[in-house]
Amino acid sequence: MTKAKGKIPPVVTLNYSKGDLIIKEGDYGISIYEIISGKVGIFVKSGGTETSVAVLGPGMIVGEMAFIAGNTRPRSASARALENCCLAVWHPAMLLDDYKKMPDILRLITGQALKLIVRMNKRVVELSLKQELSKDGQTRELSDQWTEERKFFRKMVRLECVFRPVNSPKNLKFLAQIRDISKGGLQMTVKTSGLLNYTLDSGDELFISTYFTSDQKVNMTAKIVRIQKEKTGDTISLGMVFTHLDPDDRRRLGFFLMP
Amino acid sequence: MTVNSQVLGYVVSEESYSDKAVIVKEGSVGDWVYVILKGRVKIKKQTSGGLLTIDTLSEGNFVGEMAMLKQSNSTRTAWAVADGPVVLGVLDSVRLLQEWESQPARIKKLISNLIQNLERSTQKAADMIEALR
Repeated sequence: MTKAKGKIPPVVTLNYSKGDLIIKEGDYGISIYEIISGKVGIFVKSGGTETSVAVLGPGMIVGEMAFIAGNTRPRSASARALENCCLAVWHPAMLLDDYKKMPDILRLITGQALKLIVRMNKRVVELSLKQELSKDGQTRELSDQWTEERKFFRKMVRLECVFRPVNSPKNLKFLAQIRDISKGGLQMTVKTSGLLNYTLDSGDELFISTYFTSDQKVNMTAKIVRIQKEKTGDTISLGMVFTHLDPDDRRRLGFFLMP
Repeated sequence: MTVNSQVLGYVVSEESYSDKAVIVKEGSVGDWVYVILKGRVKIKKQTSGGLLTIDTLSEGNFVGEMAMLKQSNSTRTAWAVADGPVVLGVLDSVRLLQEWESQPARIKKLISNLIQNLERSTQKAADMIEALR
């Protein structure tokens, strides 16, 4: 899985506001959510429209399908807070051992249920498109009051990384520490004494590589948007936004950021 | 699809059904779980316009597992009707139920939730087919 073995992250409780996207269809995500309070809508996209396939309430689980599918496929539907919601987030590592130990027959039955749901949801989407067409001859547009961006969480970390300015020699390597990271960018601290005679300015683009897990190297390209002097000595803090991430690296980041 | 050998280990008896014979009746109470050994089974929902086929299952698929796993009650959620001659394996429900009951709470919650979602999606599909008529 994506996390270091042997360490199971604790259950995290998160609050979402009405309209927030909890899971985005097509994204890679591994978290499983238990609804503590509020209502969550499940939507499947088709063409330009989004069809509601279910409304779930307290005590119900959201996002379990990706887990049952072995976290090899993207999310098959979106989940959206229909009102202010409180969700408990389970990391799949909490379930994986138990799931693996389950008798084969129960896993097969579960796998069949998953296949049938996907098939049934597809039918519901097809039928709802037909219904819309028969009603007013046109399909419904995506509701624009809703955000299309999944709510992402900034993760506080201490990740050692190496970086170099984009137009510098390839063998150049500076050290830094990433302090927090989100889907859009990161913040890292650098000791200016280690920068030789290079200077860093707002607008500079950097290649950054780090490891999210011991064997998973991630490369990112990001632009400096903010430079701040830290209180302690010669350390500066760089606020950066990503300018390029390969799809694989974007996926790894997505996994890494899952609460 | 062939029937998994592990699953065959649970089969305690075989039942044969002729075309259109009712295997499971929606709304009835029962906890037999079957695996299809031969043939196809249509899954139908009761609507005001009669029975509506919403899915077709084939060899290796389970029938009747939802009532066991949904954890609320063991009411059958849909009709299962033979589509041509069918041979079903009746699974050892005592063993199956025991194994299910001994699963950790989170796993049970996850799976029963999945089954409820399937029930909901199936109902929704049936409602929509009915509305389109």
